[in-house]
Order: sequence, then C-alpha cells, then structure tokens
Amino acid sequence: MSDGSRPVLEVRDVSKSVNGPEGRLDILSNVAMQVNTGESFAIVGASGSGKTTLLGLLAGLDTPTSGSIQLDGHALEQLDEEARADIRRRLVGFVFQSFHLLPALTAEQNVMLPLELEGNPAARERAREALEAVELSGRRKHYPAQLSGGEQQRVAIARAFVHSPRVLFADEPTGNLDRRTGRHVCDLMFALNRDHGTTLVLVTHDLQLAERCMRSVELQEGRLEPLA
Amino acid sequence: MKMLLLALRSLRREWRLPELRTLAASLVLAVVALGVVATLTARMEHGVLASAAELIGGDLGVSAPQNIPDTFASAGRERGLAITRTASFPSVAFAQQQSQLLDVLATDTAYPLRGTLLVGDGRGHQVVGHGPEAGTVLLDHRALVALHKAVGDTVQLGGRDLRIAGELLQEPDGGELVAMAPRALMSLSDAEQAGLLGVGSRARHSLLLAGEPAAVQRWRLWAQSMALPQGGELITPEQTQERMRNAFDRAGSFLRLTALLSALLSGVAIALASQRYARRKTNEVSLLRALGTSRGRVLTLLLGTLGGLALPSALIGVLLALALAQGAWMFASQMFAGVPTDLPILPSLAAACMGIAVLVGFALPPLVRLADIPPVAVFRASLARRIRRFDVLYLIPVAVALALIWRLSGSAQLAGILAASLLGVAAVSALLAALLLWVARRIAPGGHPALRLGMAALARRRGLSIVQATALSMGLTALLLLAVVAPSLLDGWRQELPSDTPNWFVLNLQDDQRADFSQALSRIGGNQLNMMPLAVGKLTTINGQPVDRMNLKDDRAKDSADRQLRLSWSNDLPPSNTVIAGQWFTPNPAQAEVSADTMWRDMYHLKIGDTMRFEVGEGQLDARVTSFRHVDWSSFRVNFFLLLDPTHANALPHTWLASFYLPRGNTEALAALSRTYPNLSLVDVDALLDRVREIVQRVTGAVRWVLGFSLLAGALVLSAALATSGQERRHEAALLRTLGARRGLLRVAAACEFAMLGLIAGVTAALGAMVGGWWLGRSVFHIKDFMPHPIPLAIAALAAAVVVMLLGLAGTRKVTHTPPMRLLRAE
Repeated sequence: MSDGSRPVLEVRDVSKSVNGPEGRLDILSNVAMQVNTGESFAIVGASGSGKTTLLGLLAGLDTPTSGSIQLDGHALEQLDEEARADIRRRLVGFVFQSFHLLPALTAEQNVMLPLELEGNPAARERAREALEAVELSGRRKHYPAQLSGGEQQRVAIARAFVHSPRVLFADEPTGNLDRRTGRHVCDLMFALNRDHGTTLVLVTHDLQLAERCMRSVELQEGRLEPLA
Repeated sequence: MKMLLLALRSLRREWRLPELRTLAASLVLAVVALGVVATLTARMEHGVLASAAELIGGDLGVSAPQNIPDTFASAGRERGLAITRTASFPSVAFAQQQSQLLDVLATDTAYPLRGTLLVGDGRGHQVVGHGPEAGTVLLDHRALVALHKAVGDTVQLGGRDLRIAGELLQEPDGGELVAMAPRALMSLSDAEQAGLLGVGSRARHSLLLAGEPAAVQRWRLWAQSMALPQGGELITPEQTQERMRNAFDRAGSFLRLTALLSALLSGVAIALASQRYARRKTNEVSLLRALGTSRGRVLTLLLGTLGGLALPSALIGVLLALALAQGAWMFASQMFAGVPTDLPILPSLAAACMGIAVLVGFALPPLVRLADIPPVAVFRASLARRIRRFDVLYLIPVAVALALIWRLSGSAQLAGILAASLLGVAAVSALLAALLLWVARRIAPGGHPALRLGMAALARRRGLSIVQATALSMGLTALLLLAVVAPSLLDGWRQELPSDTPNWFVLNLQDDQRADFSQALSRIGGNQLNMMPLAVGKLTTINGQPVDRMNLKDDRAKDSADRQLRLSWSNDLPPSNTVIAGQWFTPNPAQAEVSADTMWRDMYHLKIGDTMRFEVGEGQLDARVTSFRHVDWSSFRVNFFLLLDPTHANALPHTWLASFYLPRGNTEALAALSRTYPNLSLVDVDALLDRVREIVQRVTGAVRWVLGFSLLAGALVLSAALATSGQERRHEAALLRTLGARRGLLRVAAACEFAMLGLIAGVTAALGAMVGGWWLGRSVFHIKDFMPHPIPLAIAALAAAVVVMLLGLAGTRKVTHTPPMRLLRAE
C-alpha cells in the first residue's frame, strides 16, 4: 500500500528479550516491517503486547536483542546512545499520551526546545509559526498548567513538527483526551503529517484511530500480524 | 509491637532511599555540631572551675587596687595560715632595641601557696620554683623570644635591670586562662622599690592564704566581718568560678550560635527530605488505609521507621561529636594549658536529644498528614495531595526551632532577638536569591542552550532553589564574616587611625614630674602629649540612694558599683567626645558637676540633674549630672566614663595619665626615660592592638572549623533538595534525551544550573558579609566609610559557585544517565 517512495523505516527480524526474576522473557519475536516516506502506519495491540517496546526500538530509544532497524538509512542497532540521540534530534518527532511538556516553560518555550537542542538561531520564530499551525497563537505565553488537556497535546504536536522531522512517532496520542478533543487533535496531526510529508508511526489500541492510517498492523504476544 | 517490627522491616527495605539517608545525615550533623560545641565549652568550663583553687594560687584571698592592710595578713598568721602577697599589672620591658608589653605578676618568694610554678633553667631542665628573688625575673617563652633574650641575660623592667633567672613554663593560674600576652614574674620588693605599685598605678594587689580548711574558714568568717579596703574583694574559689563562667558564657555563645545555625539548617534539610519521603509513601499508605489499617497504626509505623533511623544516627552523632571534641581539645591544648579534665559525655547526649527533637519537629508534619490520608485516596490521588500543603502542623518545627534558640541562648529575650534576626537574615537572603534568580532567568534566553536549560531548571523549582540558595548563603555569610571580613576590619581599624595617633600611654605621673617629663619626652621625639588628671574613687550614692542597695539589673553596673572608678576633669570637652544631652561645664559652678558617657547613663538610668556622690581618698564629692557624652572609644585617646568639673575636682588627690605618640625605633630612648622615672607605668598601644589581632586570629582559628558545620548543613539542604527533585529531574532528563539531547549537553546544563545556584548563594553571602562588615565597621569599630575588600568576597562567591556546581554534578550524575525509554514506560 505504499506510494512507491523509498522506505524510511525498515525492520528486519527484530527480537527483544529481557531477563526478569523468573528468567528470560521474550517481548518481541522476529518482527519485520517497512514504512515508506510520507506513509501513516498504525501499530495496534492490547496492553502488554509489546507496542511500547517496539515504538522505543523504532525511535532509537532502545536497542534490539537481535535483528536490524534502519531509520532513514541509519542502522540503529549499530549506533551508541549518543549517536542515536543525534538521529532522534535531527529526524524524529514525538507525541506522547501524557503530553510531557516541561511545566516551568511556556508553550512557546516548550515548542522551541527541539530547535534549541539543534542550536537553531531562528527557534523563536519557528516556534511561533508551529503554534499558529495548531491554532494556539494566543496561548504562547501560557504555562502547561494553564492549558487544557487538548491544548497541551496541541502544543506537544507543535513541538513534534517544529523541526520538520522525517518520522513522527505517536504513542496513544488521544489516550488522555475526551473523544471530541481527541478527534480534533488527530485531525490536526494528520493534516500536519500530510502538509509536511512526514511519516507517521502511531501506536494505539483505538481501532478507529488506526483506521485513519494508510496501513495498520497488530502486535500479538510480541509478533506482528496483519490487522484483522 | 507488630507495627514496630513492621516499621523496622520497612526501614531495612528503604534505608537506601536518598531522602532517608538525608534524614539520617542531617540528624548526625545536628548532633555533631551541637555536641562538639557543648562538649568543648563544658570541658573548658569544668576544667577551669575544678582547678579554681589552683587558679587563685591559694585557698582564699583578698584583692584590692591598693596595698592590703597588714591586719588581714596578721589575722591569717594568727590562725596558722601560710601567706603570700602578689600584685599584677601591665608593664613594658626593654632590651636594647626591643620592647614588649608584659602581663607582670610581682610576688614574694612564698608564692605560690597552691598549684605549681614550673621553671626552666635554660638548659632543658625543669624545676618546681617559687616567686623570684629580688633582682631577678622569670619570663615565659614568648617574652624571651619577643625580647631576643635567653636565661641569664638582663632586661629592663620598671626602670630596673633584672637578670632573667629562668623560663616560666607553668604558672598555677595557667598564665591567664587563654594566655594572650607574654608573662613575667618579678619580685614584689623590686616592683615596690621601682614605684610600680604607687598610688594611681594599675596594679591589683592580692593577699593569698592557704592552710587547714577549718582555719581557712575561720579567717573567711573574720574577713567577711571586716571592712575591706576600698575597691577590695574577697577572692574565693566560688567567685573565681563565677567570673570564669561569665567569660565562658561570652566565648561560648558565638560557638553555640554557630551550632544553632547548623542544627536549624539541618532541620530544613530534614523537612525537605521528609516531604519527599511522605510523597513517596503516599500510594503505600493509601493502600494500607484501604486495606483497613487505622490512622493510629499507620502513624506508629511511620514514627517507628523514623525512630529506627533516629537512634543509630544519634548514636553515630554522639560518637563523632566526642571524637571531634577530643581531637580539637588535643589540638588546642596549648591554649588551655594546665587544665586537665575528663571528656564529658552528658553534653553530647543532650545534643542527641536536641537533634532528635529537630528530627521529630521538622519531619512530623508531613508524616502526620500522610497518616491522615483517607482510604478512598486509593481511587482518587487528588485526596492525597493535601500532604504537600502548608498547614498548622508546620508550627511544630517553628516551635522546635524557637525552643532550641531559647535553650542555646539561655534567655527568652535573647532568644526573641535571635529568632527575629535569623528570620530577618533568612528573609533578606531569600529575597535577594529570588531577585538574582529573576535576573538570571532574564539574561539566559540569549545564551547557550545548556545555559537556558540550566536556568529553566532553576526556575522550574523556584521555591526549592530559593531554599537551597538561602541555606547555603547563611552558612557562607557566617564563614565569610569571620574569615574574610574580620581580619580586614582589624586592618582597617588600625589604618584608620592617623599616623600620629597616640601609641603609648603613661600612668602614675606625679604633679611634680609633669613639666620635666614633657620636656624629656619632646627631646626623644615624642609628641601629641595629652595629659589628664586621674583620681581613684568609688560611687557611693545616686540621688542619696546607696548604690550597693540599688536593684541593678545590668551586670556591668553591679561590677562598677563594686570597683574603684577612675575619675578625671577638664575645662574643655576632650576630642572624640560629643555632648548629646545637657550642657558642658559652666566656668566655676557653685555645685560640683559631672558629665557621664552614654554607657553609664544607661547602666544607672541617669538623668540630667541627678546627684552622684563619690568617695575619693578620705573625702567625698557630690556632683550634679549636667551632661551626657558620646565617646569614641576607638580613638586611642585618654577617655573617661565620668568627667568632673575642674573647679571642684582639682582638690582631689590625683596623679596624671598621659598619652603620646613616639615614632617606632625610639624605644631605646624611652627605655632610658623610664629609667629616670621608674614609678611610671608605660603601656604600648601598638602591642595592645597586636594582642587584639592575636585574640581574633586565635578565636577565628578555633571556630572556623565549627563554622564548617553550617556550610555542611547548607550542603545537606542542597542534597535534600536534590533528593526531593530527583524524580522530576529524571523525567526531564528522559524527555530531553528523547528529543535528542546529548548527555554532554545535559551535564553542561546541570553545571550551569548549580554554578548559578552557587553563585547566587555566594553573591548573597558576599553581599551579606559586606553589609555585616560595613555595619560592624561603622557601629562597633567606628571606622568611617569602612567597606570590606570586595575582591576576596568575589573570589569566595566564585568558589561557592564552583563547589556547589561540583556537588550538584555529583548529586545528579545518575540523572544524565536516565534512559529515554523511561518516558514511554512512565505513560
């Protein structure tokens, strides 16, 4: 179902195991998948199915026990944590279920954060544009505590898109929002995805949300299956 | 009992938690600080009080500013008591180019009756000696070094050449408690023949007795029934003890205040750590409550955990305090030579109780609130949040702090002043820290991302940052005041004096010697000669009421009422005196007039128009108070508390007191002059100033390490704050790492954060020390425009920034290693 453009994310035979108190525990087994540039891709699964572990591996937050993950041509498993941090800073954006805004920074300062980490001199202007894109120009100087849940998630979306990442990873982006606000936030996320040509990788247990993506897969007990 | 066992099990699981370790460390520090200071002061006090009889040099005695009448000695002899006479006074010894101010004790050969006089013969042998023979003198090591002399050489003292018969190694009185001035022992007959003990000299005469206790007691009863010589008093072990105790109280209060600051800062660290602990335990407690555990049992569990932590910590504190006190005692034993004592245990145990009180007082509020969590909080976390709120329970630590201040200051009034001062200093420090934080936040946006992140981190935890900066700055201010400002204040004091400020005082000048002495002095280069008459008398009544029956609250007033007063008179208002109320003397007044300085006005609650009666020699004088003066006592001019009008005072028996300036290097000529006028007592003001400097150096040397406790307590507050904010910091680090921040950037950001925190504390402390120094310079030392040198203070502020940065980096080392996956797992 890809649009024929080259893959931005290639996963081959990825497994992840951890040593628990009762011995070795396999969380992911031989996962293989491919996501193309500009595609929206949903990973659905029940709690404990390994969704979050997979998202962490795809975004370079963790390394697989075996297998290979190529993110925009970089083999993540071969890079150390510092090199993966560089990749994340340049290529990746995140939207979290709990928003994860820094409470002492204003909305604008939160959005500036990825650009500041890059040392971008035009951070403020770019952050203002990003806030305008999520219709929050009037809330620039507000602190997270002064914003509603929906507004906080929109700030998080502005932060995720502000440095034009190649891939946006979203972890249950509507999990903490009511249905209506959730829908509005998702509309915004998909619109930006489309406008920026960003690849979207979404982890959710909300099937309706998954259906809005171009492709969806289901994770069951650590194995990837086509969505029924 | 079950709950207590559960508490101990819980403690075994949790003792690695940073907040519990902070609680334990804070308690240890509070106990050590309070314990060391209490042990040291108690030990000095016990030791000196125990050897009071030795300090007197006899079992009992009588002392007076003039010779003790023979009746006292004869009464002693009749009762079979051994008797010795002594006189003590300051005098300058000369040896060629060298001169040295000495504390001289003139004795007969029977001295000492109690205690041991150890004399070195210059060849390494020690002998138990007695008062020196006529024509000889015993000098202590410092005097020998200062005068460049050895045993067998000759020095000039009181205008006489005396052979140094030995080195004074140990005196019964230890050569004063803290031997500051070099000491000399000379023969009483030499001192008498040299005229050093004449009328108007500053000598204090003593008659000491020793013998069978019953005979001593009989003599005591007899002496108490007798009229003592004017200004005289019985020397008893109890009275000596009382004086010593007063001296210790003053010296000890500074140390106690330092310990108090450490204990209170430890309390702040305890409060922060227990808040964090309560927050961590919230879920566990709400679950326990939901499972049916009563509030009382939860409280027992929490207090049991606290108790299980407190007892071993307090014990460690006590052991450390005793070890440190013992070490310090051995280190300082030279200063307190001849005061053997056992190591007292009780003060450290009392300190442990105070430390536990601080722990309980400061940790109780969040723990009680934790036990108050309703069982339904297991479903609704918002119900548990009340433990973070300020409420009436926080008056407990305030009460504990006040009780501690009251206990250590010894008076409710002083405690009130202290509490208000501490609160004031803390409030000003906090305001200043908040202001500097605001400034830092404003300048950060233009800076490096790491600086921005660091400043954002400080701003995120604004309240905590201010508490940390305030705690650190309070410890640092105390240290800077003592280590940096005090020495420069003394230098400033000295430099402030004009170069021709009188540097010598001469006492006991007689009427007929005045003209010749002036001429002789100007021949050897002396100038700025200023002479004032001096009469010695006693204040007997004020407005007809006997002073000894007045209900005097001021100790100084009681003391002055017992002692002989030095009275003088002058037509003109002396320089460095200002009349602040009433009128200076009118020429030839009908009734005698007196002008009092402000201290005397306050001591005796004097008013203009009051009448004071003085007994001088055989006669008496009623003088009306006509003015009050402010006297600049730091001017080194001859000044008096009480000045009489010359018309009436000229007839009083008197000698002359003079001050003059003599360039350095003319001391040999002065030695020759003192040979011509052997009755004169010369006092070297430069040497006095050196003594003051030496005292300050010794005191600062002794207490600087005690001040280290307050700094350590400041560091504990920092560590408690780090423990409190640890979870939040790890979350932030995980987010920043997820967004692609390199570990190095996080470390630099943390370095910026803590360096700025240290700088804020350092700048606050430097400003505090500058203002404190300026105030001391202006109000205590009367130095115009004194400002402590800013460079050492600026260096100290920078050093604080570096140290706090290193401490902060060490405390947050693990935070920068937080794996970014933690963020997703926290969802």
